[in-house]
Amino acid sequence: MSTSIPNNLQYTVEHEWTQINGDVVVIGITDFAQSSLGDIVFMELPEIGRKLNKGQAFGVVESIKSVSDLYAPVSGEVIEMNADLVNSPEKCNKSPYESWMIKIKLSNPSEVKDLLSADKYQEHINNAH
Amino acid sequence: MELKRTHLYDQHVKLKAKLVPFAGWDMPVQYNNLKEEVLAVRNNVGMFDVSHMGEFWVRGKQALDFVDHLVTNDIKNAETNKAIYSPLCREDGTVIDDLIVYKLAADNILICVNASNIEKDWQWILSQKGTFQCELSNESDHYSLIALQGPKADSILKKIGLLTNDVNFVYYSAKEFPYQNEKVIIARTGYTGEDGFELFCSHKMANTLWEKFLSLGVTPCGLGARDVLRLEVCYPLYGHELNDEVTPLDSSLKWTVKMNKTQFIGKDALAKYQPRFQLVKLNLEKAIPRQDYLIENSEGQVIGKVTSGTMSVVTNSGIALAHIHTNLYPKDEIFNIVIRDKRYKATLTKKPFVTGGHK
Repeated sequence: MSTSIPNNLQYTVEHEWTQINGDVVVIGITDFAQSSLGDIVFMELPEIGRKLNKGQAFGVVESIKSVSDLYAPVSGEVIEMNADLVNSPEKCNKSPYESWMIKIKLSNPSEVKDLLSADKYQEHINNAH
Repeated sequence: MELKRTHLYDQHVKLKAKLVPFAGWDMPVQYNNLKEEVLAVRNNVGMFDVSHMGEFWVRGKQALDFVDHLVTNDIKNAETNKAIYSPLCREDGTVIDDLIVYKLAADNILICVNASNIEKDWQWILSQKGTFQCELSNESDHYSLIALQGPKADSILKKIGLLTNDVNFVYYSAKEFPYQNEKVIIARTGYTGEDGFELFCSHKMANTLWEKFLSLGVTPCGLGARDVLRLEVCYPLYGHELNDEVTPLDSSLKWTVKMNKTQFIGKDALAKYQPRFQLVKLNLEKAIPRQDYLIENSEGQVIGKVTSGTMSVVTNSGIALAHIHTNLYPKDEIFNIVIRDKRYKATLTKKPFVTGGHK
């Protein structure tokens, strides 16, 4: 199965992409995730100001048939949330890497080193399927 | 356990369907796009491989008496060639399965049952035969079953010459038709609320028909679309609205329990039965209800739970069927569905969420 994995981003085993800008991490779901989910019809994202621990569920994406939790790739505070995306969640299917969900201000910058490179993420997908 | 494959499996692989385990079978849940599959059936025509379902035959002098004794709906007084939906109950009224009886003749009756219940049903039916003079035969492995569903299903069958302008072939009837030196049982039934047909045939014929339908532009549809379609028109599904613990009267199926029949299994219990649940239809604008989500009244007391829930493709809103405890049914008809610790006020509706177009 061919899936798009841009080199300039970093990834999690839960199929999220992250983009690191200084101490701010932008988060969305990968092409592989959107394609496995199918049509995304509903999304729930956290309010600004919410503090998240790495690995904590911060929201959900739902397709017609399934509900999937979203997990915080790093610890920190939610400083922005993409309300447009909540109103048109299908954008995640069309352009997953332009559909950012939240921005987190890192509280533990060392966690960034646990994120996967594009190559490692590709390997993760290959091994799992 | 190794998953079973229908004889259309290679067709699904060729179409790059997403396959999932269902009732011990490796079944297509979706081909390209679930929404498009649902809309194809509502507006045009789609096809489903439902070969995993079970086919039992009851043949012989007392076939009709036996089947009429076995199920709660009235088979005896139904016209020949009718299809009759019915629960199959135990003596205490609880539901073993829901099924369709095809009365091809008084001495030649086909029963189509849910895939997940084939063994349970078959053992039950064998155990109930007693002195009835009829032969029972589980021919589930001998048949493939394709459901061709949607307003244009009729014209597709005519295009391939499987159906002619047979004026008597109304909704919920069934007949055997000769086709390419074989016999195909065509039933004007389905699980979508739309006009359509279910075609019981040999495995070879199923492949022939599937390819013909594909070449005529019929959309292959998976079990995902099938579930949305049935829920939009509020058809019950075994394991959700029906199960071993409830009776048909707990799930709005009083119309299928014919108390004027002299005798049938479960009659005495059902005559006395006070329903524990009321099945309601609930609509949610801004969230998607799912099976087992709790339902609370306006005071926060749990009064029931969702039995099936999804996002309707047609109405673009959350829809659910739910069991409400009869003794807790709220007078104000306020139903709050609990989703991830938040309460969403649902709208109670009396009519199905979508009106199918079957005739």
